[in-house]
Amino acid sequence: MALVAVDRLSFSYPCSSPALRDVSLALEPGEVVALLGPSGSGKSTLIRALAGLVPHFHGGRFEGRVVVAGLDTRDTRPAALAGTVATVFQDPEDQVVMTIVANEVAFGLENLGVAPSEIWRRVERALDSVDALHLWGRKTTELSGGELQRVCLASALALEPRLLLLDEPTSQLDPETAMLFLAAVERLGATVVLSEHRVSRALELATRVVFVDGGRVVLDAPLGPALQWLARERPLYTKVRGSETQAPSGAVVAALRGVSFAYRQAMPVLDGVDLEVRRGEIVALEGPNGAGKTTLARIAAGLVEPQVGTVELRGRAGYLAQDPGRYLVKETAVAEVALAVNGDEQRAIAALERAGLGWAADRHPRDISSGERERLALAAVAVAEPDLLVLDEPTRGLDPERKAGLGAWLQEYAAAGRAVLLATHDRDLPAHRRIGLCVSDAQASEERSVGV
Amino acid sequence: MSPGPGAALLAAAGAAALLTDRLPAVALLAGVLLCVCLRAPSERRGVYLFGALTSGLGVLLLSPFLWSSPDGTILWTGPTIPVLGPLDVTTTELWEAGLNASRLVALGLAFAAYALLLDHDRLVAAAGIARRSALAVALATRLVPSLERDATGLAESVRGRGVHLEGARGYATLLSPLMAGSLERATNLAEAMEARGFGRSGVTRAPRPPWTLRDRFALGLAALLVLVAALWL
Repeated sequence: MALVAVDRLSFSYPCSSPALRDVSLALEPGEVVALLGPSGSGKSTLIRALAGLVPHFHGGRFEGRVVVAGLDTRDTRPAALAGTVATVFQDPEDQVVMTIVANEVAFGLENLGVAPSEIWRRVERALDSVDALHLWGRKTTELSGGELQRVCLASALALEPRLLLLDEPTSQLDPETAMLFLAAVERLGATVVLSEHRVSRALELATRVVFVDGGRVVLDAPLGPALQWLARERPLYTKVRGSETQAPSGAVVAALRGVSFAYRQAMPVLDGVDLEVRRGEIVALEGPNGAGKTTLARIAAGLVEPQVGTVELRGRAGYLAQDPGRYLVKETAVAEVALAVNGDEQRAIAALERAGLGWAADRHPRDISSGERERLALAAVAVAEPDLLVLDEPTRGLDPERKAGLGAWLQEYAAAGRAVLLATHDRDLPAHRRIGLCVSDAQASEERSVGV
Repeated sequence: MSPGPGAALLAAAGAAALLTDRLPAVALLAGVLLCVCLRAPSERRGVYLFGALTSGLGVLLLSPFLWSSPDGTILWTGPTIPVLGPLDVTTTELWEAGLNASRLVALGLAFAAYALLLDHDRLVAAAGIARRSALAVALATRLVPSLERDATGLAESVRGRGVHLEGARGYATLLSPLMAGSLERATNLAEAMEARGFGRSGVTRAPRPPWTLRDRFALGLAALLVLVAALWL
């Protein structure tokens, strides 16, 4: 008997066009389903429907039926499904309830009524499975995005659910931690629905692929036939992208020398780092979570002064923060983009159209999907064409087609005599140089790469 | 110290500051609480201390003009304002202003110590029948640093686009997105909590360390503090 049965499900959020249209699925115990599709196609809504949060939490127009472990979600509150179902949402920052990491992982177990003698043991095992045991007593407010994401994943794994719903669970994880997490998911033996824009990761684990577009399921097939379909219909979902790029030798636009920075005394995040970025160049900062990529990017953009060392910026820098969709400040998308060009709406509209968001010009930035917000935020920074464009994890929420578009655009941007500095875990983006930062001494060790 | 007795001690300090009429006693309580707050990391305590001290200063400066007492020596006589009456300052008014300002500072500092130094998770776990309320209070307490972080992020996002915010008016433009972001965060958090079974019956608690002798002493001290303030101060 299927663990999950979705029967002709259609759903619209209040005052919106349908997010899901006539979706039917049956998920068997132990299946690992890669849920793919473009940004805003309805993947997150489908995950919420499987968790019972749609319609209970969001309201809206719900037609059809979703049955999970014999429970009809129309008659069962999401809290009652917890334990059978565990969900990890896109934004780890918005899921954390408790102040201390171990208590955060224990929160769900306490709610489910797990025996007290069992709780700490399961917390320990879950944290260990995502290589986060060292975070046990840390404050959740002091963790980096990637560390927080690991804690959220551990919180879900600790529940040992029969159905695990993961909405971009590895978007902020370094590749090693992401693989570790996916291995832990595999060991769990649960039915897994994994929505992931880093498709190769999802496909390594999946036994079946569901592709959603415009709220409809356009593909539901086992892995083999699904790969053939993807290669034929959506080639960017299966190909490794990126092109060979020659390192240019333009003038230096940013030079950092002997830069050190510590958020807490005696714990330097950066220690004597040198970095030079030249015009025409794309430089990628890489390294595990907590290695100081974001800090170095902020220093290069002139937003943070290093405690030791010098920063020389020859030109103007623009900076796109991690999770930029959270930091939009205007009432319409066009006003948001126009902010950086003294209210020039024509330039703003052109930038929105380049980002594929021309249709959203008059929409409130918080009324569009999270992937679309990320693109809006990028347009809002890039519209002023800064000499040095600094992007922190710019591919979060981007589907492969958008990501390929971003890569091509970055190459054009650099080729026009400007420079790009990326802080990213995503090797799908093009770069002339990749600079690895490590956690132990946070010293930059440069690794020249040939293309991508 | 366990957070339960710690919270009781801070609540008792706040209650004692409200109960007593003696300015030196309230000032002493405020001083002790200030010393306690200074144990918190400097980068976190600033906003709380600023809030507590400026609101006390506001009361000290404004209340002599807004509250009139016929007693005491007149130190300054000002004009008569419609509705408010004569604007004069007497020694009694200054004394009362100092007392009320000290009370407010003591309360603000007690809250600051609660927010900065206590382990709210254990406080929630220690709450017997009112776990939901305790969790709501703990989440509300975390709102201050969350807002602070969001405000920094918003300001940085605007600076990252080459736009410089100037003066209070410039920063005021961030208030609306700050509130919108805060509401969105609250909704997302509520959704995540429901998905993790919050609100189900049959909740258990992870085992916590038992109270020590110091915790019991702190509870006794809290009761004594309120009693002394009510009866003798």
